[in-house]
Amino acid sequence: MSGGQSVSSGGPVSRTARFGVWMTRVLSRVAPGLAGRGLLLPSVLAAGLFFLVPLGLLLLYSFGSVNLLNYQVYFGWTFSNYTSIIRSIYVGVMLRSLALSLGATVACLLIGFPVAYTIARASGRRQAVLLVMIMVPFWTSFIVRTYGIYNVISYNGPLDRLLNAVGLIHGQLQSLLFQPAGIGIGIVYSYLPLMVLPIYVALERIEPNLLLAASDLGARPLRVLLRVVVPLAAPGIVAGCMLVGIPATGEYTIPAILGGGKTVMYGNVVSDQFLSLGNYPFGSAIAMALTVVILAVLLWLRSRAARAESRTVR
Amino acid sequence: MRRRRLTVSGIITTLVMIFLYAPIVAVVVFSVDRDPLLLHWTGFTVHWYKVAVHDPEVFADFVTSLEAAGLSTVLSLAVAITAGLWFRRASARARRMFDLLTYSRIVLPEVLVALGLFALMEKLGIPLGLWAIVVGHVVFNSAYATVIIQARFATLGMSLEQAAADLGASPWRVFRRVTMPLLRPAVLVAGLLAISFSFDDVVSSLFLGGTSVETIPVLLLGMIRLHVTPEVNAIGAGQMLITTVTFAMAGLITVLRPTGAGEMLGLGRRAAR
Repeated sequence: MSGGQSVSSGGPVSRTARFGVWMTRVLSRVAPGLAGRGLLLPSVLAAGLFFLVPLGLLLLYSFGSVNLLNYQVYFGWTFSNYTSIIRSIYVGVMLRSLALSLGATVACLLIGFPVAYTIARASGRRQAVLLVMIMVPFWTSFIVRTYGIYNVISYNGPLDRLLNAVGLIHGQLQSLLFQPAGIGIGIVYSYLPLMVLPIYVALERIEPNLLLAASDLGARPLRVLLRVVVPLAAPGIVAGCMLVGIPATGEYTIPAILGGGKTVMYGNVVSDQFLSLGNYPFGSAIAMALTVVILAVLLWLRSRAARAESRTVR
Repeated sequence: MRRRRLTVSGIITTLVMIFLYAPIVAVVVFSVDRDPLLLHWTGFTVHWYKVAVHDPEVFADFVTSLEAAGLSTVLSLAVAITAGLWFRRASARARRMFDLLTYSRIVLPEVLVALGLFALMEKLGIPLGLWAIVVGHVVFNSAYATVIIQARFATLGMSLEQAAADLGASPWRVFRRVTMPLLRPAVLVAGLLAISFSFDDVVSSLFLGGTSVETIPVLLLGMIRLHVTPEVNAIGAGQMLITTVTFAMAGLITVLRPTGAGEMLGLGRRAAR
């Protein structure tokens, strides 16, 4: 059993606690600034040691090399890991996986916007009920929901039988499970609430008189939607795409279950390098490439959102 | 009177609701279905729940899940509360840096952090297992807890604490008798959310648990990938019950008590910025 749980008895704990109290008291008397900084210590551990240092190690590894005979990892300054990404068989997998998460995000937006619109238009009680209904699945277990989708789209599963019964398809619908489309459905299913909620918030904030004014000036409903509602909801749309797209790109569990090892995504490619192939430098380079892509998208979206916001204010 | 018309968006919303609930209902229905092949409804049974409860592996993993959730929640709350106390007196520049670090822990895909921790543990020779899982969970749970508790601190101001200090209370006494009672609802919400997130986590638990320690979600993942048995549905339904109840309790407290976390739970304004 690894892990080494050190269960302390009551004595030392209370002594440590009393010592902590005493230290805090002394520090806050002697040097208030020091005590203030001491309060930051737990956060420094959580954000520094447990978050920045591991990411920094990946960055270091990505310039290193590995002896694939004994899996010894060496630090160094080579770009060969990055250049071999482009030449490797993984580049196709990774591009396809990025396209898949992008597609799933767009699908989320196309499905989520009408839902958010319906909720925003609904009155009082109905609105609250709809909001809770969108949120409750999100509160249930993530892995169980993914398994639920696995059930529904599996061979001879409920969807299969339903489509057969209605006569839409004949024979088995095996094509969805272990295929990109199945993973796409899984992502949309898991992340849809994250798309609906920010768009709903943005739609809620739209001044109803603006819509009246647009239609009074002769705009047809579709034109009002495209020229008034969508631009005003832009900050919510951007936030929704961010909340869905970024975790979807790094998604591990959904492709692990719904891809069945046949279709993998970026997160699975990276973790395979670490967990089964032992090529840490190459895995780190892929991980860093993903981080750069995500940071670039984040910064781009943030500047877009800032511009959209300033437009709404004016 | 508003007339309710059949609109395109209304129809889509109805279909989406069916889409959202059907797979969850399917898991629950399958968990009480007598058919061991899960093909047809052949009657109600609690047999699969009995199998799951008596499975020693399920029990061991359940205990691990509880330990990981408990430990990571306590540590995350300690991080968040001390951070909240620091944040009030920090300079604007330090605050911006701090916020950036907090939000990046929420935004960045978990796979990256978990693999980084995996590599770090190996480099330092720290064995994987329960404590590695706890560290992995603290990374994201402390970020969520920090956001929630910071929001509560922002609504509090310092006048009550200053009054207590003026009346002669020591800093520790002020913290225990004034600050903590005011924070309690937010701490409760952050704690319940942390339990829920920890209990539901797959990636960090999978990568950092090593070969011998696994949590319920990791067990479920393995069972689903190898062979699905009716027991999976029962374990899944139980797992879902725990995460849903803790999350719903957090939601309820947010509605009933002032926590400043309402928008966080609803992913409202904060996310929309």
